[in-house]
Amino acid sequence: MRADMPQLETKYFGSMDYKEESVFEFLAGLPAFEHERGFVFIEMPEYAPLVFLQSLSQASLCFLALPVLAVDPGYRLAVSVEDRASLGLDPGREPAPGDGIVMLALVSLRDGFPPSANLMAPIVVNVRNRRGLQAIRVDRAYSHQHPVPAEEHYEGIC
Amino acid sequence: MLVLRRRAGESLLIGDDIEIEVLELTPQGAKIGIRAPRETVVLRKELKITKEQNASAARGPATQDLPRAIEKISNKTSRLFSRTDKPQ
Repeated sequence: MRADMPQLETKYFGSMDYKEESVFEFLAGLPAFEHERGFVFIEMPEYAPLVFLQSLSQASLCFLALPVLAVDPGYRLAVSVEDRASLGLDPGREPAPGDGIVMLALVSLRDGFPPSANLMAPIVVNVRNRRGLQAIRVDRAYSHQHPVPAEEHYEGIC
Repeated sequence: MLVLRRRAGESLLIGDDIEIEVLELTPQGAKIGIRAPRETVVLRKELKITKEQNASAARGPATQDLPRAIEKISNKTSRLFSRTDKPQ
């Protein structure tokens, strides 16, 4: 840790150092959070494979997310041509994990509700230019409240 | 659900002041035109669902409840959350 590193107030982990290059830029924000343009992705060994999407501008806003493939190892992306272009990816074909992308499903963990992950609208990030967005599917192939974990995938995850 | 068959160029009316017109039909989808009063909110359904789901996800566990909340998942899915039982 260096003294000149910027500090980030986080919801769950107090004050943290972060690097400018670990900020992901969401030019359109997230639906319902359109003004949130910057997120830092925090990974903690004790909470792996969870990823924490901490807002840069609001300490109290932090999403919990799981890698899409940890929720459903057979998940198939469907990113619109417009979203591919916004991410700086080849608009002509569906992005794949080898293209330097990260796919995360936002997790809902509310008291009184079964935990679920949103596979209908995954967060897709292009690691190469650090741009991200929520890629809303228009098909009905996946649920916005996919149970976590999906029981049929118990065997395939590790 | 009321089901109607419409061709390109044909419209239907909802109430007195909302008109839905089928502009174009292609194998990729239907192009729809909507005429409605300015105050009527028109949203793609999946966007509305995403907004609601994001709002729910943002009301995550309080800081001090995080370990307990995560346990709700990890008890059910120790394999998902444990790195020690990976095949050697």
